[in-house]
Amino acid sequence: MRALGVAALGAGLALAVSPALIRGARKFPPLSTLPSTPFSLQDAAMAAAGLRAAAADLAWIELLQYSAGGLTELTDAPGREFEYVKPLTERVVRLDPSFHRAYLYGAGMLGWFRNLQRYDDAIDLLQQGLRDDPGEPLYAEYIAALAYQKRGDTAKALEILEPLADDPRSPVTMKEILANLYKSNGEYAKALAVWEAILDDEGQSSQWPRARQQIAEIRGLARKPK
Amino acid sequence: MTTIKAIFDYTFREHVRHKVWLSAALFGLVLLAGGLVASALAQDERARMMLDLGLAANELIALVSVIFLTVHLILQEIESRAVFLILSHPVKRWHYLVGRFFGTLAAVGLAMAAMGLVHWGMLKLFGWGTGGSYLLAWLCSFGKTAVMGSLALLLSLALTSEAAAMAFSTFFWILGHFSAEMRFVAEKSGNSLLRTGILAFSHVAPDFAHFNYRDAWHAGLPPASWMAAGALYALGYCAACLALATQVFEQKEF
Repeated sequence: MRALGVAALGAGLALAVSPALIRGARKFPPLSTLPSTPFSLQDAAMAAAGLRAAAADLAWIELLQYSAGGLTELTDAPGREFEYVKPLTERVVRLDPSFHRAYLYGAGMLGWFRNLQRYDDAIDLLQQGLRDDPGEPLYAEYIAALAYQKRGDTAKALEILEPLADDPRSPVTMKEILANLYKSNGEYAKALAVWEAILDDEGQSSQWPRARQQIAEIRGLARKPK
Repeated sequence: MTTIKAIFDYTFREHVRHKVWLSAALFGLVLLAGGLVASALAQDERARMMLDLGLAANELIALVSVIFLTVHLILQEIESRAVFLILSHPVKRWHYLVGRFFGTLAAVGLAMAAMGLVHWGMLKLFGWGTGGSYLLAWLCSFGKTAVMGSLALLLSLALTSEAAAMAFSTFFWILGHFSAEMRFVAEKSGNSLLRTGILAFSHVAPDFAHFNYRDAWHAGLPPASWMAAGALYALGYCAACLALATQVFEQKEF
């Protein structure tokens, strides 16, 4: 009987502190809000094992693979390039709403990558970031740059993006995006400087072949008479 | 206390000499493999991935160890009849159970500490500052391991089948991480009977969804009240399971 008394006390203690535990814990979006992807089973299985952060990391890698055209599970329909960038980014941030770089990466891709120009989707992602991951100042800055870009004011957008691209919290892709914006804006010297900086950075060695190709191309463009 | 300490000591030595240290070696491999994958694929998020995979591997290996060890802990001694020899001495049954449980927990905890040190050392070696509190993440994992250990012990004594106890322990582990989902479903349910049933069940299963700092690491440090509530929750849950296990064990006839 004494054992049962201790069991009741222990259970009572656990139940009594449970509301404080729930109140103080990080709130995660329910799994039912995850966008439907071929990876839904993987996400559910990992979340069930208590590996939500690790699941978000895997989702992040799959987003990078998709952006690089190397994800066989998802192929774009003709004329709808990179249509899964938004759902794949949302998948990462629903698994872990504190994945700052995923919001920025997804928004950068949608806003500026290869003339996708999906500004509204990009802004929507960043607004999700402002709501679910408060305290990250870069979201508001990216929204401002996207708003200028949407109005066609690339110079103003570049003014905001320049310091952001060097921020360690920004994804490395932002440097490439910045260089491409300079190039399309006719600012070849600045575009060259960004690509050369990428060439000097050991951490971005995967981008070196593209950097070399871009440097050669921009030098060719700069030599052409206007 | 002397009998509990004696049982604790022999249990601890028994585990350290055998299985627990193998888990540390396995963890080392998982950690290195995880690190390699992270370096190659995660681009700017190498540190984050290394941290998440390492903490997850530490906890999963501890979970497998604690379930495996506690499920065998008493049943094997009953089967080999070693328990008769011990209980024929002036050893109270609850002393035996508590000593065995804490000896096992200490051995698993020591392995977790070794794994944590290797992992933390690797993060520091690569200069990957990650913010947050490594110690808190480790303590939460240890708390979850303790809760699972006590639950597995109770299940092993109540079910008297190792396979069933392991299966149910794993089931409760999974259910524990769905406690937030269960409450979400309960809130959405229009049927009050179903809602009450789901809520009751979500309280019976250990609430790991809200006790998982490892997954919430990147959101920053939780409030001190949460840490205190977490410690008390683990203590209360372990005490309840151990007391129930004692009750079941007291009623067994040898």
